[in-house]
Amino acid sequence: MTPRTPAPTQSLSRSWWQALRSRAVSACLVLATCVLAVIGAAASPAQAQPPYVRIAGTGSSWSQTIFSQWTRDVAANGLEVVYTGGGSSKGRADFKNNVTTFAISEIPFQGKDPVTKEEDRSDRPYAYLPIVAGGTAVTYHVEISGKLMREVRLSGETVTKIFTNKITNWNDPQIAADNNGRQFPNLAITPIVRSDGSGTIAQFTAWMDKAYPALWHDFYGRSGLTSQYPVKGRTLAQPGSDGVMNYITSSAGNGTVGVVEYAYAQTADYPVVKIRNAAGYYLEPTKFNVAVALTKARINTDKSSNLYLTQVLDDVYTDTDPRTYPLSSYSYMIIPTAATGTAFGTSGQTEKVTSSARQTLADLMFYSLCEGQSKAGPYGYSPLPLNLVQAGFEQLAKLKAVDDSVDLADRDVTKCNNPTFVPGDLSKNHLAEVAPQPQACDKDGAGPCLTAAAGGPAAPAGPAAAPGGPAPAAGEPGAGGAAGGGAAGGDAAAGGGADGAASGGQIDPETGEVIGASAGGGAASGAVSTQLPARSVAGTPVFAGLAALELAAIILVPGLFALRARRAANAGGGS
Amino acid sequence: MTTQLREETPDVVPATPRPISRRPTGSDRVFTIGSRSVGAVVLVITGGIGLFLAIQAFPTLRHYGLHFLTETEWDPDTQKVGILSVLVGTATVALVAMCIAFPLALATALYINEYARPKMRSTLVSVVDLMAAVPSIIYGLWGFFLMQPYLSGVSRWLHAYLGWLPFFHVDSDPHAAQWDQTRYTSSAFIAGVAVSMMVLPMACSVMREVFSQAPPGEREGALALGATRWGVIRSVVLPFGRGGIIGGTMLALGRALGETIAVVLIISPSFDLKFQPLEVGTNTVSALIAGRFGDASPAQLSALLTAGFVLFAITLGINTLAAGVISRSRSGAGTDI
Repeated sequence: MTPRTPAPTQSLSRSWWQALRSRAVSACLVLATCVLAVIGAAASPAQAQPPYVRIAGTGSSWSQTIFSQWTRDVAANGLEVVYTGGGSSKGRADFKNNVTTFAISEIPFQGKDPVTKEEDRSDRPYAYLPIVAGGTAVTYHVEISGKLMREVRLSGETVTKIFTNKITNWNDPQIAADNNGRQFPNLAITPIVRSDGSGTIAQFTAWMDKAYPALWHDFYGRSGLTSQYPVKGRTLAQPGSDGVMNYITSSAGNGTVGVVEYAYAQTADYPVVKIRNAAGYYLEPTKFNVAVALTKARINTDKSSNLYLTQVLDDVYTDTDPRTYPLSSYSYMIIPTAATGTAFGTSGQTEKVTSSARQTLADLMFYSLCEGQSKAGPYGYSPLPLNLVQAGFEQLAKLKAVDDSVDLADRDVTKCNNPTFVPGDLSKNHLAEVAPQPQACDKDGAGPCLTAAAGGPAAPAGPAAAPGGPAPAAGEPGAGGAAGGGAAGGDAAAGGGADGAASGGQIDPETGEVIGASAGGGAASGAVSTQLPARSVAGTPVFAGLAALELAAIILVPGLFALRARRAANAGGGS
Repeated sequence: MTTQLREETPDVVPATPRPISRRPTGSDRVFTIGSRSVGAVVLVITGGIGLFLAIQAFPTLRHYGLHFLTETEWDPDTQKVGILSVLVGTATVALVAMCIAFPLALATALYINEYARPKMRSTLVSVVDLMAAVPSIIYGLWGFFLMQPYLSGVSRWLHAYLGWLPFFHVDSDPHAAQWDQTRYTSSAFIAGVAVSMMVLPMACSVMREVFSQAPPGEREGALALGATRWGVIRSVVLPFGRGGIIGGTMLALGRALGETIAVVLIISPSFDLKFQPLEVGTNTVSALIAGRFGDASPAQLSALLTAGFVLFAITLGINTLAAGVISRSRSGAGTDI
């Protein structure tokens, strides 16, 4: 009845238009201001501060989690930083090809490879700037009775053997020995590596090359680190750290093990391997353990060197502090240190980075090196120690050295709020001093530290669960759920010879927990047999025919029903 | 009375044809030149791409020679660079994609043209066209996260019951209590399924276009002779559309060969020469380029561009063939009603 019903819509659209128009006007104003500012800056270079511009960088996906967080934090202050990851190798290549303003890489430019004669160096002048510390973590996906296994401990040698295809099954005695006799399922190990050139892989292979040279050389065919992992055997390759993580967490990931920065496993809520350090403790890459380890990193302090501030980690791998995580390292930003318009290289390239871009980079890094470091711990990294933050600021000063209009006032280390600092003492690392001692159950020959959340049943009391020891069988719900507890036990007795004789323990078919006391030893061994006898293959053609029949039925039955319904309707209409 | 005949021959102007110029004048001329040059630009750009790739490929081809086409390894560190395994992988992914996309596209085109109610028709057409508008990374994510868990099960089923066919073989035990799912993931089959969804709309729209041009006279003739709807399709629509079916399929094949990002997301790159699409690990030319481009040294870049040149040549050949088939099919030749 009301003729004016469209009125609200009209007014709505009108207000929308007005909003749009006012927004357009304000956008124009902003644009005009920007243009004026740029003109002003060009006219008088001594102006206080060049405006920010959007800067872009590529590189490490190892430190991408924390760096992306920093770029989001500074976006509130008008700094536009686009960081797209892509792997350290890509970052270095993009930087030297003058494509990006900065790069992030785990390893420095590698120079000329003695074997391949490949050039990995930059004619474009640059400086390294440490941005964050962290641990290269080995994450895994092993299920027992549908539950994710946690608290897995491995020695460095075992990890190396897994990634060099020497250990190919989770029930390998060496893995059980590392875990103090804890039983693992009979499950093939599938290592997941990166398909792109990766700094994570470079750090990981550098560690294998130094700590277990014989195993690594045998596998790789020569010595040295590599950014492109050689894919052999059961190994699979996935693009990017998130690709590796996605594969491991997928439903197909049971039995996989991969190398990523700790942050990725934390984000996905997946466990990481506790790796044995030289003192015999198995540890995760927490911010404390990484900080302790990196007190042993040899930092290049030769300011005239191209490799100033880069790391040599040999002593980290062998550090005997019980709190050390051996696979710790720093991540580096590569910043351009040539003045705008400077020519470099042979192909007539010139530095294109403007004063505004330098200012944006300097302010981003001021935030990252100071306040941003307090976020390192929660995000799965470890903050930089004071001496490296200081050195980082010295490197940032090179931006001002080539361009006077870059404003670095009020941006120095005294303004920082960094959890590793000890007031008044530069050489000390607060985080490394307050780092807690490892738990006793994380020591070689003890434990493992199984908490309620650890998943999987409790560990045996002693390291006696070798073949022949007590190993009660459990139903494997995924594969033999219908068989029920008793049947599964019987099947395992028939077919699961590898786990030794099955004892008479009763298994709850739903939880997979042991109900009755086991016969031998009396230990609360939760070893779960995952071996079931192979299904009889005799029925295969019958099942194949049945499946084909079902497929045909699925396709045909709805159509036939529709046809019948239509005929019935026609017959009804006709009569 | 005598009649005097006039002796002189009449002064007849011989009928000379008036000059007809086929040269366009004025605005016609401007239009002709304009459209001709626009057309030429397309050719120049395509030729330029080919020329650029050929120039870039020259050093690599001179260095490796024909071994570049017969070597399976891609290991620049050891001077072993070849694209045989990659080409086989490319063909496998494309063939899997066509095996799925071809019947779907044909059935969809027939349904839309012949069976769907006119009201539904435009909706269906836009839905199929919408499939072409979905970015390929979305298909990659769809394939990896949604389809891979199920498709690896399908792969296992195919291996378990049809494994005696050599191309359904996987190096794993499908009957194991805890089957090794990783061996059935990241395969050419799963990548092919994702690619098939991308090439389907292209094949479908070409086929639909050709089917709609089946001559109405023959169509009504068949109906008048008592043919059912399926009879019309079999005796009129399909024979007249044969060129479109072939052409659309080949255009789709050309696109399937070059599909990149969805394949990169799904496959696990491997350089084994394998003809087992269900098994983990494969590689395609475009995925190889996308994966290695970021951190390639100049020599590697040249090798990658050479691989790109080979793919360019293959795709160009297939598309040219397809274009020829489509253009010849317009006449309705080959029908014998």
